[in-house]
Amino acid sequence: MANSIARTLNPGQRVSGDGTRGHTGSLARSLGWIALPWLVPVACAVLWVLGSHYGWISAQILPSPTLVFDTLGGLASTGELWMHIGASLSRIAVGFTGGVLLGLLLGAWLGLSRTAEAYILPSFNAIVQVPVLGWLPFLMIVVGIGEPLKYLLIGHAALVPVTLSTLQGFRRTPPAYLDVARVFRYSRRQTIFNVILPSAVPVIGTGIRLAFTKAWLTLVVVELVASSEGLGYLIVYGRQLFQLDLVLASVLIVGAIGYAADRLLTVLEHKLSPARSA
Amino acid sequence: MSTPSLELETGSGAIAASGESGESGKAGRWRGWVIPAVALLSWWFVSRHVVAGHGMMTSPAQVLHTAIDQARTGALWRALSASLARELTGFTLGASLGLVLGALLGVSPFANRLIGPSFNAFKQVSLFAWIPLISVWFGLGDVAKVVFLSLAALVPVVAHTSDGIRAVSPALLDVARVFRYSKLQTVRQVVLPAALPSIFTGIYLALIYSWLATLGAEYLLVAGSGIGNTLVDGSEQFRMDLVVFGVIVIGITGWALNALARAIQQRWFRDPAA
Amino acid sequence: MATVSSTRTSDLNLHHVSKRFAGDDHAVPVLDRIDLSVKSGEFVAIVGASGCGKSTLLRLIAGLDDQFDGDIEFSGERVRTTDLARGIVFQDHRLFPWLNVEQNIAVALKNSGRSKEEKRRAVAEHIALVGLKGYEGHHPHQLSGGMAQRVAIARGLVNRPKLLLLDEPFGALDALTRSRLQNELRRIWEHERITMILVTHDVDEAVFLADRVVVMQARPGRIGKVVKVDLPRPRSRSDVAFVRLRDEILADFSVPQDVAAA
Repeated sequence: MANSIARTLNPGQRVSGDGTRGHTGSLARSLGWIALPWLVPVACAVLWVLGSHYGWISAQILPSPTLVFDTLGGLASTGELWMHIGASLSRIAVGFTGGVLLGLLLGAWLGLSRTAEAYILPSFNAIVQVPVLGWLPFLMIVVGIGEPLKYLLIGHAALVPVTLSTLQGFRRTPPAYLDVARVFRYSRRQTIFNVILPSAVPVIGTGIRLAFTKAWLTLVVVELVASSEGLGYLIVYGRQLFQLDLVLASVLIVGAIGYAADRLLTVLEHKLSPARSA
Repeated sequence: MSTPSLELETGSGAIAASGESGESGKAGRWRGWVIPAVALLSWWFVSRHVVAGHGMMTSPAQVLHTAIDQARTGALWRALSASLARELTGFTLGASLGLVLGALLGVSPFANRLIGPSFNAFKQVSLFAWIPLISVWFGLGDVAKVVFLSLAALVPVVAHTSDGIRAVSPALLDVARVFRYSKLQTVRQVVLPAALPSIFTGIYLALIYSWLATLGAEYLLVAGSGIGNTLVDGSEQFRMDLVVFGVIVIGITGWALNALARAIQQRWFRDPAA
Repeated sequence: MATVSSTRTSDLNLHHVSKRFAGDDHAVPVLDRIDLSVKSGEFVAIVGASGCGKSTLLRLIAGLDDQFDGDIEFSGERVRTTDLARGIVFQDHRLFPWLNVEQNIAVALKNSGRSKEEKRRAVAEHIALVGLKGYEGHHPHQLSGGMAQRVAIARGLVNRPKLLLLDEPFGALDALTRSRLQNELRRIWEHERITMILVTHDVDEAVFLADRVVVMQARPGRIGKVVKVDLPRPRSRSDVAFVRLRDEILADFSVPQDVAAA
């Protein structure tokens, strides 16, 4: 698919796609293709190592990689790292789970009851117009800067996409399936649980994945602004002390966890809905 | 890469959903006002009868008073325009760079293979985690904020532009080849129009993300002024009236941006995949 | 509702059935005073060009739509809503993608009041009936169009309805599959003797399968003529009598008002 464009715009040139080998050229060429993605990261890593070794880059701007790994190792062995990771993870676990569950319930309710939707959705809409971060100062006054602040904000960040996607999923059940349910005299309850809900699963799955991205984002910001432990706190702490090695190490961990969680959710999503055309 | 639908990412999902419910017409609309009206009344009632000295509580009247005050002294406009100016600068910068990079990744499988995976990995790191680093390299002022905002805008534009270009149907490209279109013609007449809805989605998202990022940046890079600063100041001074006022302003601005982008989308870009 | 097959009383009667689209008082009605009687155990085909309302008519008989004038009577009772005694097979198979073949057929039995054991047996029987033994665990996306449609037919039959409606069931399939499934349907009908009403735009299919072919005209939707097909089954499409009947029906389609200046 990607290669159609390439072939069209570069006629006469042989274009190899992902995984094609053989007739387009030598082994070297194919090896080169496989290695290509690593070029940029490796080059950056080399530059980084050389740069800090030869002092091209001051340690204030970018500490040496060895220092970063040492710091990581140090934190890990004293147990501090795990404490901070644990704090962040527990917050996201509580906030995200709570937000998703509430979102599912709210979305289902709004999706099934036109009355509820008429009364509630406009107000929900209005609240959604304010980005999650906009609520931060407000909530800081109301609940202080303790755990409830984090749970509420993360929960809110997760709740919105899940509610909207559940609502959408429930409302957009294909009429074709609803016809089938009527032909076989399904009661309202049977229709909801056996037709509407299963057909909404893909959309809800997408919403949940998005909710995690937003929740993770919110967690980081809240921890940057108002926390005394957690990964975000580590970043700020490192920044205050100009310990950029700490900052970089924490940023890397943030990225790694976010990525891992997203992959996990994607796998779960695929398990729940075997490839469908609907 | 799979991207959730546009309606979910922006707040427009809720609005779209309610538009579909068919309960439109004057008769149905009033029901939406019930909850806000009740909420407003209860707020007013509680603020009158609860201990007035309680730091957290403020009354609708007070918020209104603050609002008028802010508008009159020009503080509101200064803050809002500062925020919006930064956002638009960052957005324009990031979106333009994003278009170029996204186009490159879309058109050239070589570039995509070279840069794509690294970009994807970079995308994974939660945006705001970069702020402290940015503050080290660029300080706490406007420059740092604009850099951050450009980053926030760049990511969705690159993703959607390259996706959109690569997803151009081979069937259409075949037609171009049959009629012996030159490369330029193919790009202008086939690739661009076909990819345009997706590209616009990326730009729409960039606008929304950069607004979100503007707020976050103002919380964390506190030098300078903006609506986010107003909020943080209000929060630190325990001035609930200012905070509530700020939230309302942010909500209205967010809504306006959304509405603008949606209007442009309806008029010019109809995404067949949506 | 129990579905005890008693072939004598499942006659279908349509009397002056009309329908217009809501709010369209000046437009031509979708259906205009349709009168039709189908005897129990008969196979009736309805043919007509697009827009003649044949699918709409089927939905009315199935009970999926209750906005119409006139009477529809089945087994002596007025038809106003759906019933397990009247089954329907759609053109798009409408199998639930999250269920496998077995479970999809079982969808029909959910409200049939039978025991688990009876249901299991009925499903197995009907899987065999449509020739899909071995595919019980497959999901719709793993089936070809023809196979999916066979599952849909099994789902339509498993309740032993007294009447089965088929709305262009083979329209979305390629010619070879279509031909095979037409044979299957004939075989199933001869075996079960369920009353069947088949809507199709394929005249060959109609003559091949039906006892009577009802030709509908469009704008407004009304019954043109009814042609009896007295040929013994299985029928051969190259048979002289077959061809003559088919041509007779086809002639009805070149009605002047529907043909643009040719």
